Amino acid sequence: MSTATVTDAILHRRAAISGGLAGVAGGVVFGAAMAVFGTLPTIASILRTDSAVVGFILHMLIAVLIGAAFGLLVIRFRIRVRDMLFWGLVYGAVWWFLGPQTLLPLLQGMPVDWSAAHAETLLPSLVGHLFYGATVAGVFVLLQRGGRTTGRVPAVGAVVRGAVAGTACAALLTRVPNFQVGSWAWLLTGLVLGVLYPLIFTGRPEPTGPALARGTVYGFAAWVVVELTLQPLVRDGSLGWSRTDAAAVAGRLPGYLLLGAATAVVFTWLGLWLRGLFLDDVRKIEVEPPGARGPRATAYGVLAGIVGGLLFTVVMVLVGALPMVARIVGGQGTSVGLVVHLVISALIGVTYAVLFRRQSFDVLSGIGWGVSYGFFWWVLGDLTLLPLLSGGTLSWDTATLAAQFPSLVGHLAYGTGLGAVYYWLEAGIDPWWMTRSGIEASRVTARREQVLSAAPAVWVLTVLVAVTLPILLTGA
Amino acid sequence: MHESTPPPRRALRERAATGVVAGLASGVVVGAVMAFQDMVVGAPAWFGYVIYAVVLGALLGVTTGSGRSRSPIAETACGGVLLGCVGWLLYSLTLVPLLAGTAPTWSAASAVASYPQLVGDLLQGGLAGALLAVLLSLRADRTAGAGSPSRPLVRIVIIGGGFGGVSAAKTFERLAVRGAPVDVTLISDSNYLLFTPMLAEVASGALEARHISAPVRASASHTRFRHGRVDQVDPMARTVRLAGEAGTISYDHLVLAVGSVPHTFGLPGVEQHAWTLKNLSDATRLRDHVIGLLERAEQERDPAERRRILTFVVAGAGFAGTETIAELYDLVFGVIRFYPAIGSEDARFVLVHPGDRILPELGPDLGVYALERLEARGIEFRGGARVAEATADRVRLDDGDSIPTTTFVWTAGNRPAPLAAGLSGTGRQLPTDAQLRVTDLDGVWAIGDCARIPDPSRDGEHYPPTAQHAIREGKVVAANIVTSIAGREPGAFRFRAIGVLVALGHRTAAGEVRGIRFSGLAAWFLWRGVYLAKLPGVEKRIRVLFDWLLDLAFPRDIVVTTDAKAPVHDDVVVGSDR
Repeated sequence: MSTATVTDAILHRRAAISGGLAGVAGGVVFGAAMAVFGTLPTIASILRTDSAVVGFILHMLIAVLIGAAFGLLVIRFRIRVRDMLFWGLVYGAVWWFLGPQTLLPLLQGMPVDWSAAHAETLLPSLVGHLFYGATVAGVFVLLQRGGRTTGRVPAVGAVVRGAVAGTACAALLTRVPNFQVGSWAWLLTGLVLGVLYPLIFTGRPEPTGPALARGTVYGFAAWVVVELTLQPLVRDGSLGWSRTDAAAVAGRLPGYLLLGAATAVVFTWLGLWLRGLFLDDVRKIEVEPPGARGPRATAYGVLAGIVGGLLFTVVMVLVGALPMVARIVGGQGTSVGLVVHLVISALIGVTYAVLFRRQSFDVLSGIGWGVSYGFFWWVLGDLTLLPLLSGGTLSWDTATLAAQFPSLVGHLAYGTGLGAVYYWLEAGIDPWWMTRSGIEASRVTARREQVLSAAPAVWVLTVLVAVTLPILLTGA
Repeated sequence: MHESTPPPRRALRERAATGVVAGLASGVVVGAVMAFQDMVVGAPAWFGYVIYAVVLGALLGVTTGSGRSRSPIAETACGGVLLGCVGWLLYSLTLVPLLAGTAPTWSAASAVASYPQLVGDLLQGGLAGALLAVLLSLRADRTAGAGSPSRPLVRIVIIGGGFGGVSAAKTFERLAVRGAPVDVTLISDSNYLLFTPMLAEVASGALEARHISAPVRASASHTRFRHGRVDQVDPMARTVRLAGEAGTISYDHLVLAVGSVPHTFGLPGVEQHAWTLKNLSDATRLRDHVIGLLERAEQERDPAERRRILTFVVAGAGFAGTETIAELYDLVFGVIRFYPAIGSEDARFVLVHPGDRILPELGPDLGVYALERLEARGIEFRGGARVAEATADRVRLDDGDSIPTTTFVWTAGNRPAPLAAGLSGTGRQLPTDAQLRVTDLDGVWAIGDCARIPDPSRDGEHYPPTAQHAIREGKVVAANIVTSIAGREPGAFRFRAIGVLVALGHRTAAGEVRGIRFSGLAAWFLWRGVYLAKLPGVEKRIRVLFDWLLDLAFPRDIVVTTDAKAPVHDDVVVGSDR
């Protein structure tokens, strides 16, 4: 047996043990919630009993097992909170589809039911799985400390920057007409989110695009924690994880998504400007000057944006949304709407090129960033700016989410086309894999790992939030 | 290349096949669960589902992994979930209604109705991704155990960083992106690509020297670059030797794009006393020399000596010579206001040419027009005369006339760079076939000024040594080498020149594009527009544009930074100049 094999075996054993222990912590959190909702007997029914104690013991065993599996799955990644949090969340979400919706009925000897109506009843379980995943990830990082864990304590300046970014973005959102969240509580939420952002996402500065995608998911997590958990706990001493409770606060979800994304972007930009102004060591300035390859990237952004826009056009034509787009410029009719739509598509394509340049390393990562960006623009553009600019009324309630579902599909199609085409164009002039020395190759590998570390988890969480939540919250 | 190269077509096919296996296996598992829920019923439904699983698996194999032979399970599983979601949008929400004869609505209600398919697609994609990672890892272990060699790359060496060499390198990069197995090294004794059409403007101080050149490392940013001079090529051993202690480099295919050097035909004193205009150093030194002469002339009391100091003789009335004398004229009279002791009659400009009209590359009408414009300014044309001898203070013509001068610029002849001349065995250009292969030298290709390339459309004729041709030859030689590596017969080089343009100094130019002639201000705008667009890179275009705009508002700078009292000669090699 070679040394590498032995080292791998030790590494995997430690990962499984750490994961199992983290699974205990996650299982306790999730189990407590299940006790509140009285769903432990459901687990016990696998053993043909309805005892809550048996259910809890079985639940903990399962939690340990899948916690150990988590450790084995992520051990090859960098073990740091900023990445593991997303891997934990996506792991929990996947187990929600795999566990209560699929394996549990099979083990109970009952028919599998993947219907939306059934999924709605399992919404508390989804939130529980998310908490389980996040807890497992956090404890796993703690247990791996000193091993493969990387990370550092953020500087006070970064925390202040986060606080400024979060508070400013929250204050800006209160200026939106018909914004449904109370001012002071909302500003406090922004402040806390801003302070926590650099504490959770410590590490090297990153490009704005990935920060925006991550911030969107961060906003979703904040909605789950604040609106579904903390506020009901403080107010009623209960958890607001049921479909009814979640639907009641669904109108605040877009606000949280925008707050998370904006906080991440402003935090990143403030960092860029401060480094640009006060950093005297150019080795630490990794941002390529915009003039270097920017003009061509911009042109590619226009092209990719138009391709994505054409995909979106199919949806818009069939659902008759183009006349509404025309109203943005005070016009009317389908043809004006089409022109406005394509111009907007091209402009957003340019912003994509600016934000996500050199962030894709294969077609799928292009699609991942594109879909994340498309979803962000559904929230910002379709749910927020379009009603404001076309003279409508801003409303983020469940009825609006349901009504705008075709537009969501269009935005996701737009993002898919945009990301895939942009990567294809960019790879033609900037083939990142063509390196001329070992040093350059390791530099590229490091950049790829830095950019893509938790990116797949962010993409999947984004599409799951985008696709499943409107379905589950609007009602079957 | 050190990084794992992108999947070539064969590797992509293998990944796609592995993806298909993973897609089918996961499809069977998830399909069985779906069948229990009556979501897949009957042979047609199963057939459609299998097709879906195969396509998703193949796409997953092709689009994930960033070219790596192994991918983490979590990463590919996430990729599968992502594709599964996109597949649900495309298949369940769009294609299924279309196949059923109804228009898709993408409404929340339709999404709710097909939510079970969403769950199935997400699970199927995730499972397929996880299986794909396992299968790829197993295959990587197997191939590593079998000692499978990595893909061999064909070593290409390009000598010359001019238009032809850089064009070839960029084309190789594009072909490598598409999977061509090449490892390209470009060797050049200057680390920049010089945009020679604007060199005369650098000599006149209208443009900054660095603004008309682009680093080779930036122009061909994925090509291995060696800054150095090749002093020997061994076609038998297939090696090139770099001057000094830089060592030798082996090649499988060699592209010679070494350009040309000035040729003085052994005329006495010409090589020692003539200025040339072939590189940035020549241009900046000539400009400093002219300003230095103005400083000298301003202090000279003897009118005859002052006139000798300010007499500028240019030999050769082709593009380079004509533009040079026009730009020198603009420089001298553009800054003469700073020199109150110098009168306009003190400066003399003489253009010497063996023919009876200038610019033989243009038609007779435009040649006559250009000469009229120059003579109207007082520039003398000595047609039908050749330079016979040059000394430090005069130029003697073959008709016996002698012109007192301290500035003699030679643009009347070029010859291939010594490296190419030595390989040809005749001192002339390297003869190639129509495919750009050098005759009798296996694995050696030649392009640009150093190559004698037959023109298939004109029997017995050869392509002229221009930048337009060199750029196209660079593209074709790269494509031909890759074609020959693939075992196919390379194609012949064919190109019809788009046109020619020549600047005649202040706001005047002449030219012919696709048979249409231009002259005067319109041609001048065309000249500037065309060459501005052809400058390598947006940055250089912006810088040159700013130089031109500033030139409208401010006088030319007369700061002298070098002690340029006499020409310096070395065998600096450049590419085509037009």
